[in-house]
Amino acid sequence: MLAGKWSHAEAMIRDIGRFARFNWRVTSTSFLACSHRSTYPLVWTQMNIIGVRSVPVIMVTGAFVGMTLAIQAYDQLATMGFEERLGVLINISVVKELGPVLAAVMLAGRIGGALTAELGTMNVTEQIDAIRSMGTDPVRYLVVPRVLACLLLTPLLIIYADLMGVVGGAMVSLLHFGINGRAYWDYSANSVELWDVAIGVIKGFFFGAAIAIVSCYKGFTCREGSQGVGQACTEAFVASFTLILAIDLAIAFVAKAVYLTFWPMRGLV
Amino acid sequence: MTEKQEIDRAAAAKKPVIELKGICKTFDRRVVLDDVSLAIEEGKTTVIIGPSGCGKTVLIKHLICLLRPTAGEIYFRDQRIDHLSERALGAIRTHYGFLFQAGALFDSQTVFQNIVFPIRQHRRETDMSELEQIVKAKLAMVGLDGFQNYYPANLSGGQRKRVALARAIAMDPEIILYDEPTTGLDPIRSGIINELVLKLQRELSVTSVVVTHDMNSAYKIADRIIMLHNGMIVADGDADTIRNHPHPTVQQFIHGEVSDEDLAVLRMSGKGAQSQFSPQDFDPRSP
Repeated sequence: MLAGKWSHAEAMIRDIGRFARFNWRVTSTSFLACSHRSTYPLVWTQMNIIGVRSVPVIMVTGAFVGMTLAIQAYDQLATMGFEERLGVLINISVVKELGPVLAAVMLAGRIGGALTAELGTMNVTEQIDAIRSMGTDPVRYLVVPRVLACLLLTPLLIIYADLMGVVGGAMVSLLHFGINGRAYWDYSANSVELWDVAIGVIKGFFFGAAIAIVSCYKGFTCREGSQGVGQACTEAFVASFTLILAIDLAIAFVAKAVYLTFWPMRGLV
Repeated sequence: MTEKQEIDRAAAAKKPVIELKGICKTFDRRVVLDDVSLAIEEGKTTVIIGPSGCGKTVLIKHLICLLRPTAGEIYFRDQRIDHLSERALGAIRTHYGFLFQAGALFDSQTVFQNIVFPIRQHRRETDMSELEQIVKAKLAMVGLDGFQNYYPANLSGGQRKRVALARAIAMDPEIILYDEPTTGLDPIRSGIINELVLKLQRELSVTSVVVTHDMNSAYKIADRIIMLHNGMIVADGDADTIRNHPHPTVQQFIHGEVSDEDLAVLRMSGKGAQSQFSPQDFDPRSP
């Protein structure tokens, strides 16, 4: 039994080591590939697949987040007579936390799953070996464009999610609950700072890189057969999701420390 | 030409283009290749035969370092390559063409895009008309000119292998590696692939290494046949040497005979100890 646990731990350590090595290869190759013109069309293609086609789903996610927040928070604020400050709560939550995280989770499902399935299928049908046999580095040709596209476009997609979250929240607050529009926007404008928006967007770079690297790694290392590809997709989503939450926590710690260093504590209302 | 120059040239011609020295390969403690040493002669067609699962594909992937050995050394033209980085191996691999068992064509790209892939990766020439000429010539060589705009999904198994072969020769390689080129094809398509291997050998003077368990194909195309069994080389020679080889495993394989041990295993895997099969059921010679 002890031997079984040890071999399980050994396999896990080996997997972590492999992932670290893969990360290093992707990072170093990305820097090198940026200086090659041939990389740009590949990145452009992936930007279209990853970014442009994700816009509708990201916008819908953002809008629903904003609307749901408005419905959930209205009663608590209304009982205290603070309903005009509903925009503060909705907009800070959306731009700082829920917009980026839920947009990233949606991307992990939409893009991460597709990346793992695509690369996993290429792996089991020997297409990745074919690329290697022709003297091309599959990390440079397949992984780097996807990572760069995700890295660059996730922050932009988060801006879309934020925008729709703000619009969705405002629609429910102003049209459904009949809150005074001027007061709603005034309170929001005074409380939501550029810092809040910037933190949400900065998270996007880390989320995008994490989703792409984890998904590509799972595709590259998936076991043979359709079951292997399916399992790799599931593992990629679970790992991406966990990593998004862990990165979110880490950035929250760092951002708070930085903010408190430069600006005094502010109240929500 | 002086006598010395002739001797030097003959010696150079005899020098192996690829050499494996004491290659061992294990997967999760399972030994797949066990101390395999092999020299591939330039300009010759070497055929590696052996039963399924004996390590043929693993061996051919070592020749191009798609797999790294657990122990042993790999040389390409006297340069050790098994310890090189993937980036450094990229330049070495442009000397090879590799035909994968299932073709391994990029299914999201057309036949044209598949064939120009290695050219675009390694040559600066991006002139479309020149690329079109190269693709046309390569496809004509495998008898598929006109299929440039097809996707792999729209091709038959044999056509896919021929397109994969066109892609393998796109860079005019010195060495072509074929992994089971006739597997899954009917006898006529197999014959076409065999003819193509011979044609490329004749017209391009390439060094070929073919992995197969199709003995008709092996006898037809081989200058030299190597038999692999349980990860070890058990026979090495020309077609006649293999035909008359004294090793029982070689004779059993080339005649497609089922051994008593295999039959015993099949009987054991039946319903309990009382098998419903008799040995004659598995004897390929029985009517």
